[in-house]
Amino acid sequence: MIRFDNVTKVYDQNSRPALDSVSVEIDRGDFAFLVGSSGSGKSTFIRLVLKEDRATRGAVYVAGQNVANIPSWRVPKLRRGIGVVFQDFRLLPNKTVASNVAFAMQVIGKSRAVIRETVPEVLKTVGLEGKDHRMPHELSGGEQQRVAIARAIVNKPGILLADEPTGNLDPTTSMGIMNVLDRINQNGTTVVMATHDNVIVNHMRRRVIELQDGRMVRDEAHGIYVGSQEGQPSTEAKESAL
Amino acid sequence: MRLAFILGEIGSGLRRNLSMVVSVILVTFISLTFVGAAGMLQLQINQMKGYWYDKVQVAVFLCVETSTAASCASGPVTDEQRSAIEATLETPAVAQYVASYHFESQTDALEHFREQFANSPIVDSVTADQLPESFRVSLVDPQKYEVINEIFSSLPGVEVVVDQREILERVFSVMNIASLVAVGIAAVMIVCAILLIATTIRLSAFSRRRETGIMRLVGASKAVIQLPFILEGVIAAVIGAVLASLVLWAVARFFIGGWLAQQYPDTAFISDGSVLLIAPGLLLLGALLAGISSLLTLRRYLKV
Ligand SMILES: Nc1ncnc2c1ncn2[C@@H]1O[C@H](COP(=O)(O)OP(=O)(O)OP(=O)(O)O)[C@@H](O)[C@H]1O
Ligand SMILES: [Mg+2]
Repeated sequence: MIRFDNVTKVYDQNSRPALDSVSVEIDRGDFAFLVGSSGSGKSTFIRLVLKEDRATRGAVYVAGQNVANIPSWRVPKLRRGIGVVFQDFRLLPNKTVASNVAFAMQVIGKSRAVIRETVPEVLKTVGLEGKDHRMPHELSGGEQQRVAIARAIVNKPGILLADEPTGNLDPTTSMGIMNVLDRINQNGTTVVMATHDNVIVNHMRRRVIELQDGRMVRDEAHGIYVGSQEGQPSTEAKESAL
Repeated sequence: MRLAFILGEIGSGLRRNLSMVVSVILVTFISLTFVGAAGMLQLQINQMKGYWYDKVQVAVFLCVETSTAASCASGPVTDEQRSAIEATLETPAVAQYVASYHFESQTDALEHFREQFANSPIVDSVTADQLPESFRVSLVDPQKYEVINEIFSSLPGVEVVVDQREILERVFSVMNIASLVAVGIAAVMIVCAILLIATTIRLSAFSRRRETGIMRLVGASKAVIQLPFILEGVIAAVIGAVLASLVLWAVARFFIGGWLAQQYPDTAFISDGSVLLIAPGLLLLGALLAGISSLLTLRRYLKV
């Protein structure tokens, strides 16, 4: 589903590459964690899949297609096949939960009938039944992230990219989010999640791809979050909270 | 669905940037009013040319008692001199240039004078013998005025030869200068309008960067993302153009048609219908201004 073929990304000629000769393949239906310390290139990886940036060398394939060969007017189509979730939720503060989710369908021209039918379904999938008329500021962080996930999957993408989706959440809430992502993955969606959260990684026992200074140093099928670097300050707190 | 969505976006964009939108409307309104005024001046010039060029004549004025010109030193024109002048008009050398001519006596001249200055007190103090007799000559080709001038201004009893066309040309050149000034002001105002539209759209794009960011991520097409911004500018500019057209129409109807035409009944003025010729151009120009400046702005600030 996603294949990196010797991909190097240089933002700035004077510093080391953000990604350095990364080759990796993530199959349809996989669930992969992208781990590594800050600045190791996780977000860059995600940006390259979305064609938000171009690889300096090497090729990125999404659904069998080299994204470098997608003309700019077709990029929206590529992105319709990919859902994205971020640490900061990125909801529209003046729209209700349901409108936030519906927005993603409106802007790609889905009919009102389809939207009316799909939105409640998706809100149910992420565990937000009955909250469709709340405003984002009336929700907890975990609930806001669920709205963001609902919006990311409402157009039924084949791939879900999550860039530290639990970064702002407490451990219990994070686990709830992980359950949602797991359920989405079990429905056949390929999930790639960049994270610092060792508790989650260790708990889930899924594929782990570790980056270090832009190089891929580990790719393990049922890996744990090896402390190849100093643990994040919040790690102990999270562990004791569980 | 998508159309309803885009319209909704435009509406919320216009509301959110109301003060900027109002300033875009005003600036395009003023600049397009000047453009339109220049256009109307040109129409008026053409109208007057068409009307007058057929009528203008070369006037050969004859000496009267009160003439001060050197050629009239020997006193008012004599009957022999007058016949000699008329005979010259009939010679083949001159007749080939002349379409027609007639003689205007001092009584005729007084009558015309009274018509022309009907409202002025000067009429009562002028008597027929103060006004010169003249031959009014229509030329086959009005450009050939110099030939007539050369032959007649040296004949005894002729005070002066006047080309009425030249007087008109002077009027037209004043009007041309006025329309150039209007175009100049319009050009400056149009630059203002373009910059203001660009700034408005940039602000609008900035204040909605959250929405557009999400739209990009979920795969909205470039058209859906950019159209609301472009149309926002276009709508504001078109409203400005409509206002400009209304003002020009009011000027044509109430100032030109209602006042100037009363004051100068024998001048041909453009009608308010001529605004119909100019208005579509103004609307198009307004829409183009906004469209182009927003396209250029969005290319930099709303990448897909
Ligand atoms: N737009 C950019 N311009 C220049 N350098 C950049 C840009 N984006 C990222 N970088 C650099 O590329 C490297 C990798 O950044 P990236 O954001 O991919 O790291 P990350 O693994 O996501 O880090 P974090 O865990 O803190 O989010 C960093 O050294 C960063 O400074
Ligand atoms: Mg990152």
